[in-house]
Amino acid sequence: MAIETAERDRTAEPKRARSSRSLDAPQRHFRWIVLAPTLGYLAFFTLLPLVWVVALSLFNYSPRRNGSSVGGLGGDNPFVGLQNFQQLFDFSGQSQLSQTFQTSVIVTLIFAFIVLPLNLLITLPLAVMIEAAARRLRPFLRTIFFMPVLTSAVAVAVIWQYVLHPQYGLANSLIGKLTGETTIISWLNDSSMSVLGVPVALIAVTMAYLWMDIGYNLVIFIAALQGLPKSLTEASLLDGANAWQRFRYVTLPLLKPTILLTAVLTMISSFQAFDLFQVMTAGGPDNQTRVLSLDIYENAFRFQSMGWAAAESLVLLAIVLLITLAQSRLLRSKWTY
Amino acid sequence: MRSARTLAIGAVALTLLAAGCSSSDSGGDGDDAVGGSIRVWTHTNKSFNKAYKALADEYMAQNPDVSIDFTTFDYDTYIQTLQTSLPAGTEADVLQMFGSWTCSYSSNLAPVPEDIASVDSARDEFFKGPLGGYVCDDALYGLPQESNVEYGATLVNTAMAADANVSLDGWDSYDEFKADAKAMTVTSGDKITRSGYHFTTNDGISYTFLSLILQNGGAYIADDGTFTFTTPEAKASLELMKSFVDEGIVDPVLFDDVSNWVGDCFFTEQCAMGLVGPWVVPEYAVDFPDVAAVTEYVALPTLENSEFAADSGWGLTTSSASQEQDLAWDFISYVTQNADNALQWNLGTGTLPALKENVQGDARDQLLAEASYTEPFLNILGDAQYLGSLPDRDRLFYKIIVPNVLDTLNGDITVDQALAAIEQEANSL
Repeated sequence: MAIETAERDRTAEPKRARSSRSLDAPQRHFRWIVLAPTLGYLAFFTLLPLVWVVALSLFNYSPRRNGSSVGGLGGDNPFVGLQNFQQLFDFSGQSQLSQTFQTSVIVTLIFAFIVLPLNLLITLPLAVMIEAAARRLRPFLRTIFFMPVLTSAVAVAVIWQYVLHPQYGLANSLIGKLTGETTIISWLNDSSMSVLGVPVALIAVTMAYLWMDIGYNLVIFIAALQGLPKSLTEASLLDGANAWQRFRYVTLPLLKPTILLTAVLTMISSFQAFDLFQVMTAGGPDNQTRVLSLDIYENAFRFQSMGWAAAESLVLLAIVLLITLAQSRLLRSKWTY
Repeated sequence: MRSARTLAIGAVALTLLAAGCSSSDSGGDGDDAVGGSIRVWTHTNKSFNKAYKALADEYMAQNPDVSIDFTTFDYDTYIQTLQTSLPAGTEADVLQMFGSWTCSYSSNLAPVPEDIASVDSARDEFFKGPLGGYVCDDALYGLPQESNVEYGATLVNTAMAADANVSLDGWDSYDEFKADAKAMTVTSGDKITRSGYHFTTNDGISYTFLSLILQNGGAYIADDGTFTFTTPEAKASLELMKSFVDEGIVDPVLFDDVSNWVGDCFFTEQCAMGLVGPWVVPEYAVDFPDVAAVTEYVALPTLENSEFAADSGWGLTTSSASQEQDLAWDFISYVTQNADNALQWNLGTGTLPALKENVQGDARDQLLAEASYTEPFLNILGDAQYLGSLPDRDRLFYKIIVPNVLDTLNGDITVDQALAAIEQEANSL
């Protein structure tokens, strides 16, 4: 019995040490003072908007209409419960709004699932190559590839619009030079063009997005590569592994947590892609590049259907959450170094 | 006792006299001095803001006890600010308003006092196109300053017209117009490298479609407020639009709203003619002076009648929450109803007049001296029909009319299918 009690005391001690009760009053006050700005920031800028979005999604709300004094909800902005969500998933084809939403979900998924593998396929080998380059050259290469990340997305969109312009664009001009014939291809506005079922306009925006975005993952991969323990690659070298085997069986497994991080970040950012689509195609042609964030923006701020847009936003949040969870499960490593 | 009564009568008389003096019954001429302070909200636009400020300075010089404070917002912020502040009652006394928005906010706006203007007197005074947006349920909620016209005349590159032997005297029919547009079109193989007439932008398609319906003698809104697009007039209109594509005058895939917008297209000489309002000329003249020098507007041909669809442009309204409504209306009247001031504002902003009086005589000469290219528009302002109080104008234009018309022009659906879809979708708004 005494042994049991002593055992309980031993195990209880560390818990008490971590418990907030072990802090004296000034320490507790200091803790809350330190935390207060961050908690206030999170409550005001993250939690409150989230609660507001959930509330809006339950109303047919437009700021143009007069509602009650409680945030304009009620009155001419009636409570509709889950009606917005039901309509989002109405597949009868009767509602143009529902159809556009469903199209935008599909476009977003196609875009994200094209961007993710392409981004990783480009950035990881590129990072390895840059790390293998001469030491003096590395900062220069890193800067070159990172520069588009620092460029405004609108500027990138305008540049690519010029490159892909049907009449005086660089792309058509190059093709014209190669073929010797005047080439007029409307890369961004011809709904009849597709490659493997993917509209050319969507591919064009994806190219611009990748050009702008790869520098970010590149820097992460370079940092991860620099942090890998040299002993493991040296050991594999002694075991007679060639360059490919060292990459495949040593570097790649060690990079798994980094790949998970970049995959999650890339997926989330591709779901949020907006600027390029807004400027380059405005969702056209025929909604072939209407991503969900663009549809949400238009419904909220152009057409003032805030309730509908809020419901769409929550669906986007759910999609991103589900995919992130799935990625975490698939790419979770059971060890660390 | 008697002296007390005399004193009381004297006090009442003095009070009445003082009240009479401070009345703002000036009819907007600014002659009778008024006092007070008003706030004015406008969207940020250099020439608009400068023109407002000049008129406000003049008004304050005539009324030394008045102070007018301006706050400007960039366009998007202005819309959002109006949307949030009007229901909250925190808006300024005078609000610049695009006519087509006015009825959305009318519950928070003050009706125009009868001594400033009634609906009938305003109809005599202003063109019906710009005025239309300010009339909500037979009540007047503001006064317009400009005619916002995007249809009725087309940009023409006179050098290209001369090269193609196209006369700029105008066209009696669409067959004549299309023949000239075709003559100015340049192709390479089966691709159009220079469009004879670019109207396939979002606004171009919407205004053309609705205007042609009116000109064919039809209507797109029935008396009960429902949309009617499955009509012979709408069919004839859409078929006429499609004929421009079928006859190789414009390709909506290459000449669109995003990558080859009509202003860019025209001033980079990829279009010989283009449909857009006259505001585009000063916008592009700075960067493309050579093209601007050979730019003219020529009136488009008309059909059974000459009416066309137009938005109701910028004007001024007063908040119903304002404590200075009399002063606000006096200032608005000074800016919008006084012909000289209204003209001064139009000249300063490069806009077309809303006042009928200002397209005649000296005012017309002054407008043409400033911007001769606007002449065809001055002749047709009386034909502008307000689009109508639409439940959701932007969604109707850009989500319903444009995609369905584009599908028709591209040959993806038939004219009848497009009209049925437009009608069904418009009525589900």
